[in-house]
Amino acid sequence: MARTLMRFTGVGGQGVLLAGEIFAAAKIALGGYGLKTATYTSQVRGGPTVVDITLDDEEIFYPYANDGEINFMLSVADVSYNLFKNGVQEGGIIVVDPNLVHPTDEDRKKWTIYEIPIITIAKEEVGNVITQSVVALAIANTIMNAVDKDVLIKTMLSKVPPKVHEANKKAYELGEKYAKEAMA
Amino acid sequence: MATREIISTGNQLAAIAAVDAGCKFFGGYPITPSSEVMHEISDLLPAVGGTCIQMEDEIAGICATIGAAMAGDRALTATSGPGVSLKAEQLGLAQMAEVPLVLVNVMRGGPSTGLPTRVSQGDILQSKNPSHGDYKSITFCAGSLAECYTEVVRAFNVADRFMQPVIVLLDETIGHMHGKAMLPTLEEVQAGIVPRKRFDGPAEEYFPYLCEADEPAVLNPMFEGYRYHFTGLHHDKNGFPTEEIETCRKLIQRLEDKVALHEDEVESYEEFMMDDADFMIIAYGSVSLAAKEAIRHLRADGIKAGLFRPITIWPSPAKKIKEYTDKIEKVLVVELNIGQFHSEVERASSRLDIDGLFKVNGRPISPYEIVNKVKEIL
Repeated sequence: MARTLMRFTGVGGQGVLLAGEIFAAAKIALGGYGLKTATYTSQVRGGPTVVDITLDDEEIFYPYANDGEINFMLSVADVSYNLFKNGVQEGGIIVVDPNLVHPTDEDRKKWTIYEIPIITIAKEEVGNVITQSVVALAIANTIMNAVDKDVLIKTMLSKVPPKVHEANKKAYELGEKYAKEAMA
Repeated sequence: MATREIISTGNQLAAIAAVDAGCKFFGGYPITPSSEVMHEISDLLPAVGGTCIQMEDEIAGICATIGAAMAGDRALTATSGPGVSLKAEQLGLAQMAEVPLVLVNVMRGGPSTGLPTRVSQGDILQSKNPSHGDYKSITFCAGSLAECYTEVVRAFNVADRFMQPVIVLLDETIGHMHGKAMLPTLEEVQAGIVPRKRFDGPAEEYFPYLCEADEPAVLNPMFEGYRYHFTGLHHDKNGFPTEEIETCRKLIQRLEDKVALHEDEVESYEEFMMDDADFMIIAYGSVSLAAKEAIRHLRADGIKAGLFRPITIWPSPAKKIKEYTDKIEKVLVVELNIGQFHSEVERASSRLDIDGLFKVNGRPISPYEIVNKVKEIL
């Protein structure tokens, strides 16, 4: 497998960090290399946050995604979408929550943009807004096919408390379903 | 060598390393981007009978750490550049009174409060001379997740060997990045622990500061019947203040010489693709990761670049640097400050034509920036 570069962006407090850790750990469990870095501002909540995920079969040195090389970006906030979208390679895939992010017509020519209401799915269909990071995880992996699904789910469950296992499994299934529909 | 795999962040690995190395005390005050060191160790220490205490500020944090070390514990504090500024006076006290402790500094943008959440390597010169006066700083710099662990372990052993503070520099990138680290086993780490020397003779024959001209003091733990005076003033063999001319001279000369005459014991560096290199990049900490990636690209383009990475920053591996700079013409120092280690390379090499690539806006230097700079120089 060549290197996979994914970027999750939002604002501080939304919990986009966890999805990155789960991806990295799943890739490592499969015998490869995974690194997650997060960049955030000194505002505790509300500042633009970006998580870079690098997955490779070979050792990774530099832990950030180079601008122009990112294969996939997921964004749940306009401010961070606009700040970080140009890191995505031309023809790359961007997933946005259409209630929170508003791509321009030019953006739609440059990248493949899927609109999936991630926060609404977590809040209303799963019933727990915190599961948005798992909805996002499922969407990213369904579109990118980055790591084995079963290993990813197992890794995810090892990082969340047992009492929310069912909710997170549901979140993963819904994320997968919406991603498949978006791609269809 | 047996190894174990841990998936973690640099900050968490530094905390785990301290506990594995026998640290029993942490005194500090949380500060971005180092807070996770304290967070993690506050979980780990009580489980091994240790103590983690959040003091009222950074100054009190290192004061408590010095106290624990005086009582015989291996002791840690962790902070970032602004915290080191506050701790500077006590670092001087620990140098003067010869108290072993480890300080982890996860570097962020400065001066002052600077850029709290962003990466920097602006504390290189601060770690050389955080306090006034003459002494010889020992400072290590982690260049990978694994080294966040191994360098903290080494720091505890070196602190006890030389009886002085040892600084371990991480930077925001290394401290917060999350991935796989291959570490030595706990058994191996524990087998490598060399505790500080102690005096076991009769208490009336104990003179902690009476030692050879290149050796550290022998400080027995307090409260065990071996009494001595503890001060930041120039002091005699018992630790009592003195202005006696020769005693004062010998004391400060010994603080210098106990490290300067034994630099080989702490020297450490990595050579990455240096065997046939005709272009040398010098970088340390997280920047060395970008440099390694850059070298992959440069080699693919037929440019024989290599990386020299100091792990022990102070005392710097000056002789090894000179060995390379004597035979390699093109040398580029890459760092997240305006040439703090670059000036040391100029000194070590006795050359004023060393190139530099510097950045101070809180953002990392990318591999491509290094590639472009190398091609510009060639």
